[in-house]
Amino acid sequence: MTLSALNADVIVDKLNTGEVTATDCVQHFLDRIQSHNGDLNAFISISESAVEQAESIDQLRKAGKPLGCLAGLPIAIKDGICVAGQPTTAGSKMLEKFSPPYDATIVEKLKSAGAVIIGKTNMDEFAMGSSTENSFFGPTANPWATNRVPGGSSGGSAACVAGRLAPVAIGSDTGGSIRQPASFCGITGLKPTYGSVSRYGLIAFASSLDQIGPMTRTAKESALLMSVIAGFDPRDSTSSKIQVADFLKSLESPLSGLRIGVVREHLDEGLDSEVNTKITDSISVFKQLGANIEEIEMPHTKSAIAAYYIIAPCEASSNLARYDGVRYTFRAQADDLEEMYRNTRGQGFGDEVKQRIMLGTYALSSGYYEAYYLKASKVRRMIKQDYDEAFQKVDLILGPTTPTTAFKLGQHTQDPLAMYLADIYTVSANLAGIPAISVPVEPSSNGLPIGLQLQGRAYEESSLLQAAHQFQIATSWHTANPSEPWRTQS
Amino acid sequence: MSNSPEQPIAEQPIVNRIAKLARIHLDQQQLESSGNKLEQILDFVSQLEQVEISEDVSPFFGAIESVNAIREDQLTPSVSREKILDNAPESDGEFYLVPPVFRNTDS
Repeated sequence: MTLSALNADVIVDKLNTGEVTATDCVQHFLDRIQSHNGDLNAFISISESAVEQAESIDQLRKAGKPLGCLAGLPIAIKDGICVAGQPTTAGSKMLEKFSPPYDATIVEKLKSAGAVIIGKTNMDEFAMGSSTENSFFGPTANPWATNRVPGGSSGGSAACVAGRLAPVAIGSDTGGSIRQPASFCGITGLKPTYGSVSRYGLIAFASSLDQIGPMTRTAKESALLMSVIAGFDPRDSTSSKIQVADFLKSLESPLSGLRIGVVREHLDEGLDSEVNTKITDSISVFKQLGANIEEIEMPHTKSAIAAYYIIAPCEASSNLARYDGVRYTFRAQADDLEEMYRNTRGQGFGDEVKQRIMLGTYALSSGYYEAYYLKASKVRRMIKQDYDEAFQKVDLILGPTTPTTAFKLGQHTQDPLAMYLADIYTVSANLAGIPAISVPVEPSSNGLPIGLQLQGRAYEESSLLQAAHQFQIATSWHTANPSEPWRTQS
Repeated sequence: MSNSPEQPIAEQPIVNRIAKLARIHLDQQQLESSGNKLEQILDFVSQLEQVEISEDVSPFFGAIESVNAIREDQLTPSVSREKILDNAPESDGEFYLVPPVFRNTDS
């Protein structure tokens, strides 16, 4: 069996026993990137030092030195996360030449666990989008059918794991940007609780919603990565001091007695009928695993997209004010300072980013704050209260991750609202700050992946990972790989 | 701004003003297209007006643990000025350099 077919935990075992060297492992995935990235455009840049890092891990291992739990494992990082000295563009022309002077905390942690960063993955510009079509570096294709989007904004991370160009990847999720692409590409993606993974070094989009998380083939691999990246960081003032759970240990507990809530409306209105069928079928799997299924109500989640498209652009308009042509590489020609700001931002940002900054600026401008931002933040409270009440009755909430399977490239580019609705089931978790995971279920009849979302209480990622892992023991949908050469149509 | 949330945003003076506030240069065509999209999105989010919000609902701004994060005020090593300025479009090695704040109107 080739290395690319193996899960990260198996690769780590083989590296530990010396069956495979880190150098061979990293080279194997670099070769796959070399052969396939032309079709997928999943990577924006490849690490030039990856082989060198792998060689030094092999030397340390040979010398019998202690190594971290991921020693020699290749990993891909979304390009909105800073890696010192490596291009970090956030998918934007504005940062095309940007080279961060420091590592994000999660990058520091992954490196000290011995993971080897092999490249930076494509994304919607500043994580604004649901298809990776908003990247300055061109769209990413879905390896299950290259005429389709991989989802977004972490589309590059999802496509490279699904296409086995990297065993595992890291993404970020502001309104569904880990889970929606995981669903479209048939992989597992976890958005942790707000505060459980440090955001230091994550290029900010909407700071009260952004969260970094793992994108992997299995829940077990996500647990492995979470055990490295989660935890308090004094450099992120919203980082939680809550004791990090033993994510790997809790995976094996059975689900008997687990209470899972299902929101009836989420399985009706606007949901593709095939997605509905496959999600409903999966509910039976959880029943067989011993879980009790209960119907619950989340009356305010129907307002989540509207609240999100006020709150996120408001925060973005403030966060992205820093790109003014003074500090971050790109500057447009101008005769005075004011014109320099305007030209730099006019030329450096893509259309969707400008659109959202405009929307946020409008909503926060004098006279509009109460009608938009304040109102949306009150609706956000009500959505959070819906979750608080639901989690008194049930332990997890189950539903579809997305209303449809992956749509075609170009299908929604002229219709922002249609694109925004791709996140209809995912944004609520960001608004409430709770963790949520997407896992593959049976694909559609035309061979496109479908994702099931589980949402849990704050800081209970381990319950999500446990339920996802038990589901993956009972099913094999997560083991499916897209055929090579990739299908070009579906 | 004198406009109320009910007025159509695609009306140019408002779009112009937002672009100015956001410090984004948009040409005529972009202004129109931006105005139309804003109109569409604002029309969609206007559904929030239908949500019944009782008096006692306080806004939720996100962080789950709403406590101040305080830490000892200790000196720790930070990234060097040289490294930071490496990303500057223009610098003299010590400071960022920018175009004139006021345009020279003599010539």
